[in-house]
Parts: sequence; C-alpha cells; structure tokens
Amino acid sequence: MPLDPVIQHVACALLAIVFASAAWHKLRDLLAFELALDAYALLPSPLVRPFAWTLPLLESLAAVTLVLTPTRTAGGVLAIALLALVTGAVVVNLLRGRTDVGCGCGGIEDEQTLSWALVARNALLALGGLAAFAPTSPRALTWLDHVSVAGGALALFLVVALANQLIANQPRLARLRVRTA
Amino acid sequence: MAVAIAALWVVDIALAIAVFALARQIGVLYERVAPMGALMLDEGPKVGERAPSFKLDALDGSTVGIGQPSQHGELVFFVSPTCPVCKKLIPVLRSIAHAERDWLRVILASDGDEARQRAFYEKAGLADFPYVLSTELGMTFKVAKLPYAVLLDESGTVRAKGLINSREQLESLFTAKELGVESIQQYLQKA
Repeated sequence: MPLDPVIQHVACALLAIVFASAAWHKLRDLLAFELALDAYALLPSPLVRPFAWTLPLLESLAAVTLVLTPTRTAGGVLAIALLALVTGAVVVNLLRGRTDVGCGCGGIEDEQTLSWALVARNALLALGGLAAFAPTSPRALTWLDHVSVAGGALALFLVVALANQLIANQPRLARLRVRTA
Repeated sequence: MAVAIAALWVVDIALAIAVFALARQIGVLYERVAPMGALMLDEGPKVGERAPSFKLDALDGSTVGIGQPSQHGELVFFVSPTCPVCKKLIPVLRSIAHAERDWLRVILASDGDEARQRAFYEKAGLADFPYVLSTELGMTFKVAKLPYAVLLDESGTVRAKGLINSREQLESLFTAKELGVESIQQYLQKA
C-alpha cells in the first residue's frame, strides 16, 4: 500500500531537523566533539580530526537532501548510512562494556552516556528514514496538509528531544538508586 | 474541520513542550539530590596516612610538589579530556580554589597523550591551575573512576578523598576534613 505523502514529508522533515541540529552542535564546538570521538577509542589518533570535521558536514548534507524532494532518495540512503555508522560505534563500545563514555552527540544529548537506549532511538530514526523510499499515493497537498507536515515534524522532534532527556536522566537515577539501597 | 485540526496541532506541540520541560526539570532534580558526600573507594593511601610524595612537571613548565609538607594543603583533582562530568566541575573548582586560597592549592592531574591534554587544557581555560600528567600518580592513589579528588593537608596527610560528581560532593571532602572523619558516608552511618 502506498504511503500518504504527508507521512513521508513528516518523516523526512523530522530526520532533517534531527541531523541539522546534530551537525550544528558539533560544528559549534568541534574540539569537544573531537575529544568525545577520541573517547570512543575506535580511530587511530591522526584520523580523529578529519573524521570529526567530516561527520557534521555529512549530517548537514543529509538534512538538506532529505528536505528537497528530488534528492530525497539519496538523502534517505545517506541518513540511514550515517545512523548505522554512529550506532555501530556505540554498539562496539557497549560490547566492550564501556558505558561511562560521553555520547558526544551534541546539544541536549551532551550529558548522555552510552546505552542501549541510544541504539533503540537510532533504530527508530532509521525506520523513519525508510519512509524516504516508500512509494507514495499521488495526491495534491492542500494547505491543511502543509500545516500537518509542519506540526507533525515539530511535535516529533520534541518527542526525540524528550527521549534524549530521559536517556540522559537514566544514569543519574541509577546512581540515586544504588546509594539509597 | 480544518480549524479543528490546526488547533489540535497547536495543543499537541504545547503538550510536547510541557512534557519535555518536565523531563528536563527532573534531570536537574536528580543532579541536585545526588547523595551527599563523595563515594569513597577503599583503595590507595588511606585517610589519615601520609601520602607518597611527588615532584612533577606541570604543563605550564613549573614544578609541582604533591604530598610534601608545605605551607598549604593540596586538592589533587584527577580529570581527563574525555570525561563529561569533569568539564562541568571546572567552574566549581575555580570557586573552591578562590574560597580556600589561604591554605589550599588546587592541582589538576591526568595522564595520556600530551597533545590531546594540551588541547583540553587550552580549550577549557585551565591555565589558572597547575596541570600535571603522571600515570604513576593515578596508580598510587588507585584512581579507577573520574573525576576523583584527594585532599591533602599541610603535612601531606590524606584528609579526604573520593569520586566526585557534583559541587556538593566536592564540598563534602572539606566537611570531612573539618569533622575529622574519613568520609561523610562514614559520619552519617555512625550518626
């Protein structure tokens, strides 16, 4: 069954906002991101800096290509590839048992440490990225549809921010529980 | 119908903002009610014992003595560029260094790649503090988790130590010293 175009627009707009904000926070404080990246202990030292510069640029590119309808499919591929890459880095460190590493995701998530919740969040975002490839039913959009796209994308972005905050709260709550037990 | 849908979106977004704000406030609360007193890991030189003494070169080229009898006590604060909480505590350290400047010197300690340490040192504006790099120092005090602090008095005796996650926990080291107990946890347990 083809997807309603509004759903696709909402999913792509949401991912575009998520990527744009991630890129913005990294570019604003590149050194902090470099240090965070180094803490992942995945890249040899000389590669950390070039990668720290490249990632936010690719994220910005994903945001732009997702918004523009003609490049949407390419944007979807890039978005899912980026999510897979960063989630892979998180998973490797989780499997190593390193949960006290800062996420380095930037912004509100700055206080997040690595956890499986991050992996789940990224998986859900990637699911949204799949909407970029789905066939859509051809129908003309009315002004109300545009309101729904804007409203839906904004509301979902707030939900993502909420999820991030709750993930960041988790280790603090865990610390409280241990001490009072 | 159209007006109703538009109105629903407005309400929806308003609610999402409200829930997000609540979650954020809960996060702040968790941080503020974090347990009083630094968690002490029972390893390394014990409270009341003389600390092994060190003479180390700081990043700014000066020589720093740790654990040697002198005019002032020392707060050795173990940090790392990769520890998110450390960065948050720098302003707290600054205010403590200022408030206790009559008798205390705050020394930052870390180890590892010097180029990266220097980048962190400059970026975080740590020039006010002596910053030493020594793996041996961390090993001697058995620092396993960061940020970790050790408070030494004028004679080089360990007066308090522990894992520090907040201003309150850092201050608890000084309270422990004043009360003459090993840690605030121990004090609370006795009470």
